Amino acid sequence: MINTNLPGNQISVDRSPIDFQPGDSLLVAMLRAGLHPTGGGCLCLAGDCPHCIATVDGVGYVRTCQVAARRGVVVERHHAQGGRPPLIDPEQRESHVDARHIHCDVVVIGGGDAGREEVDRAGAAGKDVVTLDARDGEEVAGIYHGPLVVARSGGGTLCVYPREEIVVATGAAEIQPVAPGAELAGLMTARAARALAEAGIDLGRVVAVGMPPEGVDAERVEGRVVRFEGAGRVEAVVVAAPDERETRHECDTVSLGLGFQPRDALARMGRGLPVRVVGAAAGASDIPPCPLEGTVCPCSGVTVADLEHVWARGFHELELVKRATLAGTGTCQGSACVPHVRSFLAEKGRELQPPFTARPLTRQLTVGEIAAGACHHSTPRTPLHDEHLRLGAQMDRTGGWWRPWTYGDSIAEYRAVREAVSVMDVSTLGKFLVSGPDTLPFLELLYPTKVSTLRPGRSRYVLLLDERGYVLDDGLICREGDDRFYLTLTSAGSTFGEMWIRDWAESRGFDVHLLNQTRSLGAINVTGPRAAELLAKTGVEKLPGFARHGVGEVAGVTCRILRLSFTGELSYELHHAASDSVHLWRTLLELGQDMGIHPHGMDVLLQLRLEKGHIVVGQDTDFDSTPRRIHHEWAVKLDKPEFLGRQAVVRTGKVPLDRRLVGLEMDLPAPMEGAVLWNGQDYAGYVTSSGTSHSLGKTVMLAWLWLANGKLPETVTIEGRTARLAELPFYDSENERSRVKVSLDVTRSVDRSSAKTGDDQDLGRFERLEATRIVASPETLDRSSLPAGAFALRTAPDELLVEGEIPRDALDDNHAIVERETSFASAWVEREEATRFLQRACPWALPTERPAFAQGSVAEIPVKLWFEEASVRFVVPAAYAADLEEQMT
Amino acid sequence: MNEFVERRISLRWGDPKRAYDVVIVGGGGHGLSTAYYLATRHGIHNVAVLERGYIGSGNSGRNTTVIRSNYGIPEAVRFYQHSLDLYQSLEEETERWVMHQQKGMLWLAHSEMGVRAERARAEVNTAFGAETDFVEPEQIREICPQLDMSGGGVWPILGASYHAAAATARHDRVVWAYAEGAMARGVDVIQRTPATGLLREGDRVVGVETPNGSISAGLVVSAVGGHVTTLASMAGLRLPIRTHPLQAFVTNHYRNEFHPIVLSADLLFYVSQTARGEMLLGAEIDRQPSYSYRAGHPFIQSLAQRAMTLLPFLGNLKVLRQWAGVCDMSPDYSPIMGKTGIDGFYLTTGWGTWGFKAIPAGGEQMARLIGEGETPELMAPFSLDRFARDRTMADRGSAGTH
Repeated sequence: MINTNLPGNQISVDRSPIDFQPGDSLLVAMLRAGLHPTGGGCLCLAGDCPHCIATVDGVGYVRTCQVAARRGVVVERHHAQGGRPPLIDPEQRESHVDARHIHCDVVVIGGGDAGREEVDRAGAAGKDVVTLDARDGEEVAGIYHGPLVVARSGGGTLCVYPREEIVVATGAAEIQPVAPGAELAGLMTARAARALAEAGIDLGRVVAVGMPPEGVDAERVEGRVVRFEGAGRVEAVVVAAPDERETRHECDTVSLGLGFQPRDALARMGRGLPVRVVGAAAGASDIPPCPLEGTVCPCSGVTVADLEHVWARGFHELELVKRATLAGTGTCQGSACVPHVRSFLAEKGRELQPPFTARPLTRQLTVGEIAAGACHHSTPRTPLHDEHLRLGAQMDRTGGWWRPWTYGDSIAEYRAVREAVSVMDVSTLGKFLVSGPDTLPFLELLYPTKVSTLRPGRSRYVLLLDERGYVLDDGLICREGDDRFYLTLTSAGSTFGEMWIRDWAESRGFDVHLLNQTRSLGAINVTGPRAAELLAKTGVEKLPGFARHGVGEVAGVTCRILRLSFTGELSYELHHAASDSVHLWRTLLELGQDMGIHPHGMDVLLQLRLEKGHIVVGQDTDFDSTPRRIHHEWAVKLDKPEFLGRQAVVRTGKVPLDRRLVGLEMDLPAPMEGAVLWNGQDYAGYVTSSGTSHSLGKTVMLAWLWLANGKLPETVTIEGRTARLAELPFYDSENERSRVKVSLDVTRSVDRSSAKTGDDQDLGRFERLEATRIVASPETLDRSSLPAGAFALRTAPDELLVEGEIPRDALDDNHAIVERETSFASAWVEREEATRFLQRACPWALPTERPAFAQGSVAEIPVKLWFEEASVRFVVPAAYAADLEEQMT
Repeated sequence: MNEFVERRISLRWGDPKRAYDVVIVGGGGHGLSTAYYLATRHGIHNVAVLERGYIGSGNSGRNTTVIRSNYGIPEAVRFYQHSLDLYQSLEEETERWVMHQQKGMLWLAHSEMGVRAERARAEVNTAFGAETDFVEPEQIREICPQLDMSGGGVWPILGASYHAAAATARHDRVVWAYAEGAMARGVDVIQRTPATGLLREGDRVVGVETPNGSISAGLVVSAVGGHVTTLASMAGLRLPIRTHPLQAFVTNHYRNEFHPIVLSADLLFYVSQTARGEMLLGAEIDRQPSYSYRAGHPFIQSLAQRAMTLLPFLGNLKVLRQWAGVCDMSPDYSPIMGKTGIDGFYLTTGWGTWGFKAIPAGGEQMARLIGEGETPELMAPFSLDRFARDRTMADRGSAGTH
């Protein structure tokens, strides 16, 4: 957009070049050339009024008095032409703006006398002070909770966080004239007249109404402005003396010294925050005489007649008058009109109403300037992300992760599962380790199943209920030892699940340790009738039976092997350290090549589980689904004295059932999900999952079906066709395929020494951190002895992340969780680069001592930072490494 | 001259009397429309509306003015479709310009699961009279050429549901049109008068206390937004309501070049252009419950960034103002209307982020309940006792958005 063809001292205004002088604002440059940016109106040169706005480099509503003239700036005077700027600029420039986060003791807004005095005083007291002065191009837009001051600057958006206080020293704005002819050129406030005279603008004959401009030769007149006369530019001003006698004064310029109103919007906005107002900003507003005629609000074009009109119709509150006329809702947000509207209402209603609520933004920022520093919400990637891309997968955001939706041939994916063997990346599942003396009673509270009857080595499907007895999530519970369990939740449920689990443990005071391993572990589901046969080739020595789990070496990778089935076929979930995922995945695909292996994605998985009638929480359930409604009463043991939701389940269990999630089947084609069920003329529910069963050659569905007269109707109508109630599961009703007895026939032993090839995902500038994660009581961690010089981060009072391998017996606590942790990536970053990036992307205050550890959200990514003198070590979940690297460059 | 100055509505303020047949607490859209329909449909004129600030000063004047009926469950679709229909005829009925504009709404999907959800929405909407179609990217481009279909390379647009009947109207004018219609038929609207207590006779509510004295009433209706749990507790009622702030912002005025209402459920924002040419943007509620009207920076910063992802032209627009309202959220994300189990005390609340679009139907149904004594059909599913009866109205179609 910038016109670089212009010589060094020219800007373009409405496509014509004009000269400017060093130190000129765009406004002054235009006035030098005899151009008024909006055609007319009383200029203030202080950013208060809307009379100098223009479109600058494609951005409309820029106050040209606040922008320094630079070579090649392109100004368009849309407002002078009486129109609004276009919404969409066909030549839109890049609107990316950088942010800078600054932490200090005191921020002083305003660089006038009062402000400078405050800066000096705080400086003398040894405070770290930041000054924001609009005249230096640092326009403050708002004061927020934090406390936080947001300002525009030449270098981007500033977010200033004062530890102690905000001093508002913004001074006072000059009151605008309201009279016929106030839209003429040649009108300016007294301060503006002085500034323009000093800039060498020829003002011609000047008449000064009210307080005169310093250092400007002017004819002085006292009284009320009756009207301005002229065509385009002012030629005379008519003023009425207190005795109402009018006098006419010919002139080229009128200087208006009509009084002051404090610029107190920031102060009022900051109520309740540590804000102090000093100088003229703290003063009371002058109230001008009640306006009689002319435009009151130049931004919205509201006249005195409009105020009269709405007053006569019952709009008496300042807020109602504002809303009925739109006075005060334009560019200057009431700066020009509020004193006059208040004066008008005081005259009419005999009561001076306070100004309306001060809200951000006091000085306008663009949407791009406001967005500065914000980042896309990152979607994490599993360790196999690049593998999926290599295999041509279409990736989709599902459950908060990037997951393969399909590899391109859904039929082949489906057949591989049903007829041979397939693999799926299920790394996104929520995965938790719980240990500690209170583990059993804690889990008995958390789950509606009887946890105590689960023997070590066994797994069970479980529901997670809230206090209202509604289904929050589902998953598995696997007992590893007396006081140690491994839990899984759905992919979408793991973040909430961790908060839920921690909240209940803490609020009930259970002595348990919890480690969220969702990102720590990769997980691959090996499924299909030949799943065991494939695993036999990997050298695994033992496979668990149905609903059991165990630890084994698969292709040289230590895996927790879980046998349950979501697809309906023989299935083994292999949970393993994230760093081993790529190797394990590639080995399985390679060994399965001659068995017809084909990985499958979400699309086919949803189909496979639908044939088995397995629900997807969130798709088939709503947030008021009770176990009874989803026909999962079997998963709830009411003979337990207490579990979350028990009371509610007991209570609602006495109420007649209204609807139930059921299986429906019908002829092809399959209706849409969401399709409505009709029982005769009556609404009978809707379809939550629908698909073509390739194995059964018909439509299979899950649906909410309403009971009629206490019974589920046997048939319903969908899109004019009949659907029948069906028993679940649709496929393999006796579950023979998923529960098939397997005898492992080890066909080939993989040489362990050569097994791991070092395959790994590409982490860019980061390297995978081989580490140990320890969760134990704070006291245990305090007295643990780590190897000397080990890189160790105390990430929580009860949690430690240590580089390298730590033996289990380094801690004298039987319940301590000590797990290999390979899901973090790390990189050392030079101090300068780190500082630059963190100033831009990290809103919170960083430690100043060295060495130091800090952690939190940086660029919306969870990051751990280890500060040394010359460099900073960034530790980030590998799932976000690619996103962090992108943000850093 | 400013064409947007209100030129026709005339508000006539009454002097409060000591007793009314009906006292409505809350001079927002729901309270005033209830008064309007009582007066116009049921001949009940001896009504007062008490407002603690000025009329429309709460959420009625703070919302993003969207009118739609593309909800997720039949009961809600029917209710909001009725409201949408009443909105369409409101200007004709009141002979006032509320700036009603049919715009059509795109509800964008950025994932395969999102596409499935929008297809499902179209199914259930259309079955219950709220015409909604699933549209493919080519059609989306035609409806809204300004969208970056690649979503900045991060959030590609894979499809959308399109709800052609969606509209906007000027929120203040809706409030005033109902207020004027009620006032003209004898309803007293009393500003700057909070209800500081409820008068009780035994379990029965028989009036309202105010700083200017008590007012007795045959029936008290709470149409309060925000502090509804406080008011209900005065009647001895504990409501399953949590109040959360919801923020919005508006840009300066530009040429009217953006026609539809666009919403992205993944990026959690919605945007439309007002008749005056401002771009109006809103997002999801704050997670932390609060009555605070204070505008926040993380909100506007993140919303600005997300909106620019799909509509890059927004980047160069100047933001005028940001503000907050509060949303009364019920556990099932559906409203609560009607009888409360306490004699003399009716309630309309739980309007979450969908209160504005429900103003006509909410008032009309409440007036029918009062006028006819029977809970009308559209209101019935949303009764307070549904929680005790295990007949909740969970609606994903409303959850988390406006």
